[in-house]
Amino acid sequence: MPPSKNANLVLNAERNRRVRLVEAVASLSKGIALESYHDQVQALGPWARELNYVNQHITVPQDQIDNAAKAYHSVARRLVSELKWPDDAIKVLPQGSASTQTLIRSPDRSKFDVDAVCQVDLNRIAARDPIAFFDEVGKALEPLEPTRKNRCWNVDFTGDPFYLEFTPSVPLDTVPTVVREAVARRYIPVEQYRSTALAVVDNRTRQWKTSNPEGMTKWVNDIAQRQLIRFVALEAATALNKSLSIEPVPDQEVEITDTLKVAIRLFKRHRDMCVYRQKIDKEFKPISIIIVTLLTSCYAGLADLGRTYGHPIELLADLADLLPGMVVKLNGKYRVDNPTVEGENFAERWNMDEGERYEAFETWCDILAADMRTILAATDPPEIRERVRSVFGCGANNSGSGGSGNLQPMRRPPSPPPKTTGLA
Amino acid sequence: MSLDVARLWNDFPDLLPKPLSRARGATAFRLKLPSFPWGRDFAWAELVLPYGFPDRAVAKIMLSPDAVLRIPHVEDSGALCIEGDPGPGFGYSANDRALLLLLAYQEKFLEPWLAGDLDGDFSTEPLNYWYIKVAQARSHTDPVRAMWVIDECPTRPQVREGLLVLPSRIVIAGDWDMPLTGRTINSLGAARASQQIRVLIADIPLSHPLTPATWPRTVADLDQLLNGRLRPAQRASFRHPLRRRGGSVHRIVLLRHSTCAFAYLLPGGPATVIELERGKKTYPPLSAPLPLRVHRLDPAWTVGRDQHPEVAHRQTQHVLVLGAGALGSPVVEHLAKAGVGYITLVDGDNLAPANIGRHLLGADTIGQDKAEAVARQVNAAQPASHVTPMVMSAGKWLDNNTLAGVDLVLDLTGEPDVRWQVEQARRLHPCPLLIGWMEPYVAAAHVCSLPFDTLWLQGNEDLMGKLGAVDWPDDVIRQEPGCSSRFQSYTAVAAAYAVAMVAENALKMVDGALPGPRLISWVRGQHYLNAQRSDLTLRDWAIPAAPHDGLMIERSFP
Repeated sequence: MPPSKNANLVLNAERNRRVRLVEAVASLSKGIALESYHDQVQALGPWARELNYVNQHITVPQDQIDNAAKAYHSVARRLVSELKWPDDAIKVLPQGSASTQTLIRSPDRSKFDVDAVCQVDLNRIAARDPIAFFDEVGKALEPLEPTRKNRCWNVDFTGDPFYLEFTPSVPLDTVPTVVREAVARRYIPVEQYRSTALAVVDNRTRQWKTSNPEGMTKWVNDIAQRQLIRFVALEAATALNKSLSIEPVPDQEVEITDTLKVAIRLFKRHRDMCVYRQKIDKEFKPISIIIVTLLTSCYAGLADLGRTYGHPIELLADLADLLPGMVVKLNGKYRVDNPTVEGENFAERWNMDEGERYEAFETWCDILAADMRTILAATDPPEIRERVRSVFGCGANNSGSGGSGNLQPMRRPPSPPPKTTGLA
Repeated sequence: MSLDVARLWNDFPDLLPKPLSRARGATAFRLKLPSFPWGRDFAWAELVLPYGFPDRAVAKIMLSPDAVLRIPHVEDSGALCIEGDPGPGFGYSANDRALLLLLAYQEKFLEPWLAGDLDGDFSTEPLNYWYIKVAQARSHTDPVRAMWVIDECPTRPQVREGLLVLPSRIVIAGDWDMPLTGRTINSLGAARASQQIRVLIADIPLSHPLTPATWPRTVADLDQLLNGRLRPAQRASFRHPLRRRGGSVHRIVLLRHSTCAFAYLLPGGPATVIELERGKKTYPPLSAPLPLRVHRLDPAWTVGRDQHPEVAHRQTQHVLVLGAGALGSPVVEHLAKAGVGYITLVDGDNLAPANIGRHLLGADTIGQDKAEAVARQVNAAQPASHVTPMVMSAGKWLDNNTLAGVDLVLDLTGEPDVRWQVEQARRLHPCPLLIGWMEPYVAAAHVCSLPFDTLWLQGNEDLMGKLGAVDWPDDVIRQEPGCSSRFQSYTAVAAAYAVAMVAENALKMVDGALPGPRLISWVRGQHYLNAQRSDLTLRDWAIPAAPHDGLMIERSFP
């Protein structure tokens, strides 16, 4: 049987890789006479522990996620009541990182985006024209002062740490046949994910456009479940986590053994830190959907090739190695294909900016690989901790007070009057 | 009223009551520290009571040096920057003041720091922290002491040339093609800018200001940043600059946000030659990047503090000012301070001793041409503007030149002949005109602003006399003792109102904010007139000003 498309991509990336981080990992574990997988897991424990710490550090607190979910449900209810749509004609789902457990906190205090797709059964409502449909949703959201974007309405909830990106859509099958055929001529839903294909409004072309966020979520989740960590090691790693008394994690957190999702989260954080440290231009940074697609394709390709790893750290290192080689260049054009919509190239803008975005991607991959090397070159646990937390911007512990001594009620003199600022 | 330490310890048990001596007569008390989570530790904290506390000094909290640039709100000295001790004058006892400070330390600093709530605070005042870093790295042998930027932040990274100005060791981020470069060097003066050396600058825009948590710390960090932000050709030209006469070139990484900027001088530049009292001494090139303080001298900042977008348009404007007297000279200075890019100043007089009490210029320029001396002074002080002096009468200048290329004419001569000549020139090249004049004692001052299509002389009748606020007795114009020169009596203070009115309206015209003809007058009240002479009365139109110190009155242009 010929290798799969993803397997071929991985083989190609392996041929072209510039560094071999995995060897660094292997040498680390070889440095200790390993009697068993458990020894290997113990040897790599400090890295796993620290990367796990980063993984927890970047997790968006559950209460904020809950508030965001409440927000998009309230928006959905508003649409139903404002637009007089039947209750069962609308379905609101989280999409993107919110649905794949790869939503992460930003390094600064900026808000995070929660993507929600609002599916409306076009057979049940009057709208036919895409822009009219989009505008109608926008009008119903007016009291929330939404901002129009190409495919969604952005709502800023004052006081909450998130924006809601609300994408009006209709199931592809409810779009009139003539229109659907015109849409599908360019963007064909991949058959495997056909049932969840949607038509969203593309404001630039003023037409329907195929999209499949639910299919994308399913694709990532399905592939993430494929196991590349050898079972014994996995067991040991799990045991290690328990023995390290890692605090119980909220439901939305991802364990390091869920390596694909951890890789997505850590690499996205690394990308954000590169932007935060100005090493890549914010405007040209690799967008999350590209990172997700490349990593998931790589993971799938490795699984298709039957590769296995003794420890999640090895797999993370290999993913970092192979990432830059996963971008395809066909006829001089960069391609990162949407696995759920044939013909859609997530890297389309890379071919229209004189190479700025591709160069930023390459730079980021280089820095990621260099940082991974730096981390893996550390030898003792405090050094590993220092390097990991520095690279991923977790300079200090956010876990709360370390006990600030005297918290007894104290005598308190009356507060002084506020100072006024004089002008010179 | 001194501090009762036992009582303070009772109120704040984390205070260790053993007093410690500190520099300059200060007394300190150590504070018990909590068990710190990873990355949040510092070695010690002290309550410091400086010599003079409580009457003449305020108490402060000092943290150990390891807290500087690692923990927000800690100054270079280790002093914690929080409001705590209200100071003398609010009726608090010494103990209450110390206790308020300790409570502030606990509640506004220690607890939020441990909880991570201060982690983003570096970004609220990034330049403060950068200046600490610069001060820590500074030595007297640094090849560069500071950097001055003279244009706005670029939208894309660029590699550009700049000039290292010696002996002041200031790098100006601009080349000779930029007019502001020469003007800025001129402002430094010959003693501070006798030599200029070419340097290379990677000028990189930032999406947000740098903080101690994000700024590059090593050459490798800077290399990564340059790799990521410069295009391949830019990288090549920055890494391997073409040398005009051999030898190495200073290279600077300039990281700019729209509001603040940071720079590093890279190692590997030429050796530094510094003039000492005993002669010159050469110091080897740097071995590590040198952080530099960056001063913004771009007009958007120096002129408008980033609050006046109209400055960009003003930079392109050319204003012709006729008359460099007591009105014209300070008006020119105001226009320059407001960012008018080009000013031609015409005046044929030189400065007399009697001028210096009410002129921009002073005794140091007596006998010099007013136009030249004003231009020299304003150009040195305000590089955002360039004043070109024309030492000749306004009439002669108008004989020899046209108004082509002039965006606004200010006639501040008060001379009817000049008004007539300006009229002829405007017929050939229609151009907005502002006529400004003052009456004796500056009892009134007037600004007439005319758009390009409105003429001053209507039916050959000069309106100035009719527009005045007071019917002046003939003897109000004084004669200088022993010569034929005549003058009006007024002070610089009285004239300042007129200067401000003329300058403000001139700027409105430059900004295009005065579309139609307009006549505005500043008229002093009767009380002011009486203080000058007993026989002065206001004309009917100006009578509303009578009960006031002064009144601004707008009339329609007749």
